[in-house]
Amino acid sequence: MSMYSKLMNKYRHAFICLSALLTFSVHASDDKSANPLKIHGFVAQGVIDVDGSNFVNDDGELSTKLTEIGLNTSYQLSDDFRFAAQAVYLNGGNRYNEGLRVDYFLMDWDAYSSEEWQANVFLGRFKNIHWLHSSTWDIPFTRPSIILPQGVYFDGFRDISVGGDGGAIKLTYNNDHYGEFDFNLSRGKSTISSDDAEVFISEFAQGDIKHELDTQASIYWRPMFSQWRFGLSLLDSEFNYDGEAIDAFVDGHFELQLYTVNAVYEGENWEFTTEFLQSRFLNEGFYAPQFHQDNIAQGGSFQTRYKVNQELTMLLRYEKFYSNKDDKKGHQLEERSFGTVPNYFGFQNDAMLGFSYKFSNNLQINAEHHWMKGAARLNPIVLPNPQVNKEHWKVWAIQLMYWF
Amino acid sequence: MLFVMLIGSPVTHAIDVITNITADTASITTAQLRRIYSMRQVKWANGVPITVYVLSSNNIIHQKFCKETLRLFPYQLDRIWNKLTFSGMGIAPTPVNNIEELIKAVKSTTGAIGYIENINEVSDVNVLKIDE
Repeated sequence: MSMYSKLMNKYRHAFICLSALLTFSVHASDDKSANPLKIHGFVAQGVIDVDGSNFVNDDGELSTKLTEIGLNTSYQLSDDFRFAAQAVYLNGGNRYNEGLRVDYFLMDWDAYSSEEWQANVFLGRFKNIHWLHSSTWDIPFTRPSIILPQGVYFDGFRDISVGGDGGAIKLTYNNDHYGEFDFNLSRGKSTISSDDAEVFISEFAQGDIKHELDTQASIYWRPMFSQWRFGLSLLDSEFNYDGEAIDAFVDGHFELQLYTVNAVYEGENWEFTTEFLQSRFLNEGFYAPQFHQDNIAQGGSFQTRYKVNQELTMLLRYEKFYSNKDDKKGHQLEERSFGTVPNYFGFQNDAMLGFSYKFSNNLQINAEHHWMKGAARLNPIVLPNPQVNKEHWKVWAIQLMYWF
Repeated sequence: MLFVMLIGSPVTHAIDVITNITADTASITTAQLRRIYSMRQVKWANGVPITVYVLSSNNIIHQKFCKETLRLFPYQLDRIWNKLTFSGMGIAPTPVNNIEELIKAVKSTTGAIGYIENINEVSDVNVLKIDE
């Protein structure tokens, strides 16, 4: 099979959907009178260097695997129905599977609209709208930093976490005394390709991992005219692994319940953001038929931004994450593995300093340095690799981004 | 002294909110204006879709409108609009290049809303009274 055929097979779904998106966009753009068509996009390229881990690459060299490109369209079919789609190309090295993706492809039904209430129903492939940055995880200029806090926004789970195929409801309520409320509910599942699975369950897994239907809900509240906004999200998800006859792993069942709370303050010069998570991760089988593990992970980050002027913003963030709240230093993890998995795979802390500079309304550069301690959020997480992943490691990255 | 200060001050005008004559409203609250510009209210009470026109984020009139009328910072609106645009969950307001384009767009678009600095120069639009 030629290289071209292999590529086509690998990205067939993405190619078909992107072609449909572009064809539809070109066709729709013929009708300018009602102006129902919107087209937007972004391009971002950077360099990233990691010292002491395989976060981006295995050889530790300076890497250009920091590419994010996207194109989206929105077409208003009638007063109540809208079609929207976005395709993205991502290359983050070992962080997630490199390639083209259909990011979202949905029909938006404006089900109810009044001065106080707004209800929308989304069907198709939709983005995760529940966490603080989940709906624009891959959109470089909407993120506070190039690398997001890995406790909540673990890049290895990006393709599972970033959205799903199914349905979502967004309900907003506006009260002139109590403020603005958002209620979000979604139910769907993600398709996990063998390439996606290889990132987080290693190249030795020969079987298939399937994401069963998951349910997510969130609520956000901004008090009237307040600079503060508060959020809460809940996730209930299940996965099954079907091992092959010759496989390093056996059949397995995984359950994940994730809770996040967040608060944001947006002042004229200062901004504060915090997001905490607690997740229960149940693992039955997979490593061995009788294997059973039921851990509660905890984590959180605190971030402040200071706008020096309209162009320059400084950023400071600290994050802590533990895989098991009853084993915060990872000693039990090391004991259970008979010393093969060092204790620092039980946690990951990140101290980060960065800045962004806006050259214009749609051209920006971000730069940041991370001082990491621990390796709990390094791929593949089911098979920790202490040979290349040290307890203390560093990352610096610079990324230039343009959008329209 | 007062005379000298008045002579030396640049002439400034209050920001007025204008709508297409089809929008069935004469007054609006600040809270409702925030809802419209943050795309949380997308239709007028009579069911007509609202088309929101804006100047660019670094335009002085836009910044004044955000801070003084909406009591929001321009970057807050940019974030809301970018999130809607790039998550597929909604659409952002339609940007225009200058105040002349904005007035022309509001006049010619059913259900449109916009803002201007000097209302004396404009006709054939509704000027909304803003209530607290």
